[in-house]
Amino acid sequence: MKNGLLLFLALALITACATQEICNNDNQSELVARFKTEGELGTVDTTLAAVSVHGIRPGLPDSLIYLNEPLSSMVLPLNPNGDFSIFVIEVDGLSDTLRINHRTEYYLISYTCGFAALFTLETLEHTSRMIRDTRIIQAEIDAELEQNEEHIWIYF
Amino acid sequence: MQNWNRMKNISGYIFSVVLLVLLPVMAAGQDTLRSIGPRIGLDLSRFAYLFFDPAERGAELSLDMEIVRSLYPVVEVGFSSLRETEDQFDYAMSGAYGRVGADYNILQHADRTVYHTVTVGGRYGVARFQHRAENVTIPSGYWGDYLLESHEYSLTGHWLELVGAVKAEIFTNFFMGWSLRYRILLNPDMDPLFAPLIVPGYGRGAQNRAIGFTYSVYYKIPLYKK
Repeated sequence: MKNGLLLFLALALITACATQEICNNDNQSELVARFKTEGELGTVDTTLAAVSVHGIRPGLPDSLIYLNEPLSSMVLPLNPNGDFSIFVIEVDGLSDTLRINHRTEYYLISYTCGFAALFTLETLEHTSRMIRDTRIIQAEIDAELEQNEEHIWIYF
Repeated sequence: MQNWNRMKNISGYIFSVVLLVLLPVMAAGQDTLRSIGPRIGLDLSRFAYLFFDPAERGAELSLDMEIVRSLYPVVEVGFSSLRETEDQFDYAMSGAYGRVGADYNILQHADRTVYHTVTVGGRYGVARFQHRAENVTIPSGYWGDYLLESHEYSLTGHWLELVGAVKAEIFTNFFMGWSLRYRILLNPDMDPLFAPLIVPGYGRGAQNRAIGFTYSVYYKIPLYKK
């Protein structure tokens, strides 16, 4: 009987410990866009000297995500409130608009960490002052961003 | 008269011999009669769940009976509910469950009036319950948080379990005992959006395998002896 109680207490402790969880991310599902260029050697990474980026947010003022930064890739938060996200990319006084059409679903990371958006990229539209082309590399975007993960390529 | 007395003596002798032969048999029959009847159990460990995080309210009763020597068909029923308020959503679950199966006693006693058991057995479990997530916020510092519509689902969970148990008769017809259970969830994808926090009677819905434990008191209703 004593052993039974001890086993019960041990199990209770294990269960109590198992419920402790630490949430490392901020539940933001972000797209990684890598900059590419077509050269004699084929498609290669490229870095732009001074890039500014902001999103077109209906009903909200413009807010910069990047300001004149040298970038070879950018991390963009997608809009969980709708099925598309629009960004304006400016380089050296020229600007292009990139519209990302996505399916937006939601999933539970865990009971402690809560819900996040799960985006599935469908199509990319853009103006062509600087941007030559775009390509979807990995369509699914969740809140757990892995190192070296990339979702789209933007060709300049 | 002498003959009559002689006959009385002979008949008395025969009766005594018959009694002498029968008595041990009758006495042995009385000693080895085994008390049979339904045994009702209450799982006390369920009350410890009130102190877990989140607190789970519920109760579980069991009913078993030794229908043939060492074999105990079992029915277990219970209910469970919990509420949890997280940073990004509120969650509630409530429902009932049942398990059916059998235990086999591997502890064989020479004395048929000893009822302590060490059993191995199996169960099939089913839970009918509802769970609901409300005030779900999908955070977005840049675009503005998105408030998801309340998500409510009626669910049915199925599982199988292996059970090892010990029961000791502490007073006549009163038992205490514990069981350890290994559970296999048969339909982990019961909700397409998210796994239930707890499947009543099973354990954490996000886990396809679970360990269970009961610590119970029992009373056996002594219906008959055989």
